[in-house]
Amino acid sequence: MKPDFVQKITNWGNFPIVEKEMKSEDAVSKIREFVKTHNEVIARGNGRCYGDASLGKHIFSTKRLNKFISFDRLNGIIECESGVLLSDVLEIAVPQGYFLYVTPGTKFVSVGGAIASDVHGKNHHAEGCFSEYVLEFDLMDENGNILKCSREENSGKFWATIGGMGLTGIILSAKFKLKNIETAYIKQESIKAENLDEIFRLFEESENWTYTVAWIDCLQKGKNIGRSILLRGEHALKAELPQNLLKNPLRLKKKFSPTVPFYFPNFVLNSWSIKIFNWIYFNKQTRKEAHQFVDYETFFYPLDFVNDWNKIYGKKGFIQYQMMIPKKNGKEGMKRILETIARSGNGSFLAVLKLYGKENPHAYNSFPFEGYSLALDFKVNNKLKNLIEKLDDIVEEYNGKIYLTKDSMSRSSLTNYLKNVDSSKFVSLQRKRIINNG
Amino acid sequence: MIILGSNSEIAQAFVEECLSKGEKYPVIYLLSSHPETTEKFARHIDVKYLQQSEIIELDLMKEIDYSKFENISSDLLFCASGFLGLGTEDALYDNANTEKIIDINYAKLVPILNYFAKKMESKRSGTMIVLSSVAGERGRQSNFIYGSAKAGLTAYLSGLRNYLFDKKIHILTVKPGFMETKMTEGLPLNPALTATPKQAASAIYKAFKKQKNVTYVLPIWAIIMLVIRNIPEFIFKKLKL
Repeated sequence: MKPDFVQKITNWGNFPIVEKEMKSEDAVSKIREFVKTHNEVIARGNGRCYGDASLGKHIFSTKRLNKFISFDRLNGIIECESGVLLSDVLEIAVPQGYFLYVTPGTKFVSVGGAIASDVHGKNHHAEGCFSEYVLEFDLMDENGNILKCSREENSGKFWATIGGMGLTGIILSAKFKLKNIETAYIKQESIKAENLDEIFRLFEESENWTYTVAWIDCLQKGKNIGRSILLRGEHALKAELPQNLLKNPLRLKKKFSPTVPFYFPNFVLNSWSIKIFNWIYFNKQTRKEAHQFVDYETFFYPLDFVNDWNKIYGKKGFIQYQMMIPKKNGKEGMKRILETIARSGNGSFLAVLKLYGKENPHAYNSFPFEGYSLALDFKVNNKLKNLIEKLDDIVEEYNGKIYLTKDSMSRSSLTNYLKNVDSSKFVSLQRKRIINNG
Repeated sequence: MIILGSNSEIAQAFVEECLSKGEKYPVIYLLSSHPETTEKFARHIDVKYLQQSEIIELDLMKEIDYSKFENISSDLLFCASGFLGLGTEDALYDNANTEKIIDINYAKLVPILNYFAKKMESKRSGTMIVLSSVAGERGRQSNFIYGSAKAGLTAYLSGLRNYLFDKKIHILTVKPGFMETKMTEGLPLNPALTATPKQAASAIYKAFKKQKNVTYVLPIWAIIMLVIRNIPEFIFKKLKL
């Protein structure tokens, strides 16, 4: 048996599935050799992007770049290799009273991936993207040289790489700041909104909260369109915690987390089962408003609770469609998007609605700007392409864009927004698709 | 804790498994044939677990200076030293390859294991966890040089366990099946039969705590090997395994 390194690879959406060469090394000399001896290389972290972003002809997996380098416990500055997961960071940071400044909706992304996607979270309106807290990183370029990139040093490469989807090189390691927390708990308020007007009003009223997000039922029609639950939260202070949580405020008990054992058959998820699920979710909170303390995992990573949840969408996989449109006309555009989805019947589980804050003008490749974003999952079937076309039409009409980390089939006019990233060495299937269709 | 073969992914995963279970060690001695490579791991456990360690060079293919180990003592030793080398098809008659496989997996390894066994014997306490292989259970045409060296190691460990039983020393023989490591990367291994280093580490840690004598990392391998051991030789010799 001779190794040939060609294997079936797919990201979190199980779509598309490709057969490509993938290799992982931990020694710089070996990584350099891989970069120099291959054309069309792309780095891949934990494969938690949804579509074809980190897939390519020759994939370098950072899974063996999984070591911590330093942790300044006094100032909350951490340095690690790029394949370290945010969950690994939390494991050592939280007991010391630190948290990630910015975290996406799963903790199972790599640090390298977080930079390449410039991930954002429930606090975008207040604290921006992941890159705001990145101090520096090491990047291997097309010649195998390692560049130290920061706001001062190689700043051109620094900003091109942030949100640059791995197209500028391979991030080897990074140093970033953490935020102080007193407890591992979040003071959470959840408020039910009956329709779109109400949820938009709630978002604007909640601007002073650090974390805000809404779960929206996208199968509702007519006057119920936009039925949703707004969650807003703050890191709980010690003084606020109820007695039963005070004993070990920075440590969470280990919870049982179930695993989806196999790909669900195709018929399990249909518009009826999703309607039932959404109905239960909306009605399990009986009061208009609920206030409680929840641990950070429940608040930030509700889906991580179930391992391999992507398998419930079946073997054909699913896509996540995340679009955003500017704040002005946001409500009108969102209404049309939701109407289109409800009409298609091709709805997803609760979709995520979020109001973003101002963009960082330096981070020109980052996805978010001031406006409303909606993210939803669609099972792959033969009607999907048609639905995406219709949604893309609306997003284009409202001058919006598509999040590349989720994208796998949107049109070039919404996805071809990266600058200073094109080299002949670092190329992904996604980039090729976008360029060739443009 | 003393680690032999500290650059092995299973060894590193085992160290992390113990530390994440809350075990503390005054010092972890990381014996390694490439000490400069081991530094990254030493730093990692210092940052992640505030665990002190000391890297000591040990190259089984060179003359061993035992004085370096004089002051080392611990009641837990984990040995992942091993060398897969080239298989039959590529290098059966390549003596350098054959000797290196026999040396690292058996001939040069046994004296150093004996050295640490003696230390434990004098203290009358300790556990040695040693990675052998399912390949050592029956010689197969594809890699029987490696298999026979591991067979020797397995027999040695069985004897050592027997000898040290009265002296309160425990020996755990680990026979991992397919592993998802750098050594096997790119090979078309069946995922149902392949364990990650993390899975292996967790299974080994459990076997260690239960004082098991022999463990396969994935239980399915116990069944597979039961079948392979029991195929009559007149049939086995015709198989292409």
